[in-house]
Amino acid sequence: MAGRGGNRSRLLLVILLVTSLFLITLDLRGVSITDKSRSATQTFLSPIQRGVSTLFSPVGNFFSNIKNFGTTKSQINDLKRENAQLKAKVIFNEDTAGKLKKLRGALNLAGRAGYTVVAARVIGKGSASTFSQTITLDAGMADGVRKNMTVTGAYGLVGVVKDVTASSCVVLLMSDPTFRIGVRIARSQSVGVVIGQGDGNFVLQLLDPSGEIKKGDVLVSLGSDGNRPFVPGVPVGRVTSVNDTSASLTQEAGVKGFENLNSLGVVTIITKAAAQDPRNALVPTPEPTVTIYVTPKPSVDSMTISPTPTPTPKSSKGK
Amino acid sequence: MSASRISLSALFLFVVFTVQESAIARINFPITGFSLFLAVLIGLMALEDRSGAIALGFIGGLILDLSPTSNSPFGLWALVLTLVGYVIGANRESIGDFTSRPGAFVLFVALASALTLLLSLILSALVGDQAGNLTRNLVVILGNTLWTFLFAPLVLPLLSLLRNTTLTSRERS
Repeated sequence: MAGRGGNRSRLLLVILLVTSLFLITLDLRGVSITDKSRSATQTFLSPIQRGVSTLFSPVGNFFSNIKNFGTTKSQINDLKRENAQLKAKVIFNEDTAGKLKKLRGALNLAGRAGYTVVAARVIGKGSASTFSQTITLDAGMADGVRKNMTVTGAYGLVGVVKDVTASSCVVLLMSDPTFRIGVRIARSQSVGVVIGQGDGNFVLQLLDPSGEIKKGDVLVSLGSDGNRPFVPGVPVGRVTSVNDTSASLTQEAGVKGFENLNSLGVVTIITKAAAQDPRNALVPTPEPTVTIYVTPKPSVDSMTISPTPTPTPKSSKGK
Repeated sequence: MSASRISLSALFLFVVFTVQESAIARINFPITGFSLFLAVLIGLMALEDRSGAIALGFIGGLILDLSPTSNSPFGLWALVLTLVGYVIGANRESIGDFTSRPGAFVLFVALASALTLLLSLILSALVGDQAGNLTRNLVVILGNTLWTFLFAPLVLPLLSLLRNTTLTSRERS
């Protein structure tokens, strides 16, 4: 009896293994059934994800909040002070303000370049059981989003649209190990490829063997034919280390992305590139540069008697 | 395992998959995320008979292949989980009945999910998928095992209970 049961299960095993291998072959040969079934699942999931996203946004960051919640006294004091400040603000909707800030940042970057964009909210993240790194956005075909469009955040590149349904899309994050993007070093115009490593760090491979990489070099996207998948001029990252091995054919460097991919709230999808390449206009200003706004103090002091300052010195200082 | 039980289990797995994709994937777990779906699927397979475990593995794999965030070729998870189902089913006698040993059940599910992820990594490398940084992937597996180990004690008793209530009297004997 046991032998018969064993035979039956072995037959089932063989049939199912062959079926799986058949499916894998179909997929690798580019039959679109598999793509369609995944799109259909996304169409089914996106309304649920949207609902859960609104419910879950405070819970979603629960663990990272706990992790950052120090127990040292100074941190408690900081929190107390912060609490007092928050009390002073009374009914200030922080969630909305945060979203607004991210949206403003994202739109600002796109606006400076003259891109036509669609703003979208992150409603889902790639599941842990798949090793790929993706996010799901609440904008889709109806909003003009198509496959292979560039997605940016407030500081730079986020990823590329991998799959799109009527009202949502899946974005492959730039940190995904399969992600590759052609970049240009803003300083030297050398061309290279940036490769995702699974976290916020990337590897830059310079195509030009005689090119030179320096620590702190800024990388912007090179752009693709027809602006898809990448529009030119999007800031990608900054070189943090140069692996100088004379033995290897290509030069390599470590890169840190401009965008924090773990805390994306609102992003923009570039539906139409700018009429001309923005070149280096979008590169974030270097961190050490401190901008000091000097108010004409002496004149204010001297004018304490007359409370209405004349507008002429102000405008000349401002220019 | 009857056809009605298979379809019932498939429906249940799809509901778990929806929860996984829309809710659990949203939570920013430290280290890396947690796959409730894998834990539930392996738990179900461990409670089934030989061919039941294989069939459930295949169905569960197909559902996981549907995930729109997945990068691997369609059918890879079906292949991986059919194999895992076979391994679990083939060791049916030595595994024994988990319903009365919750501690061993949790340990088994955590380890089996780690092995499943490892197997999927190896197979996807074989079909030429770029899997990326090895240490990063090992950290993903480790994180998932840890979270499965912590969360399984909450999930698995419910699973055993649910299974017992849906068993027909004939299957129970």
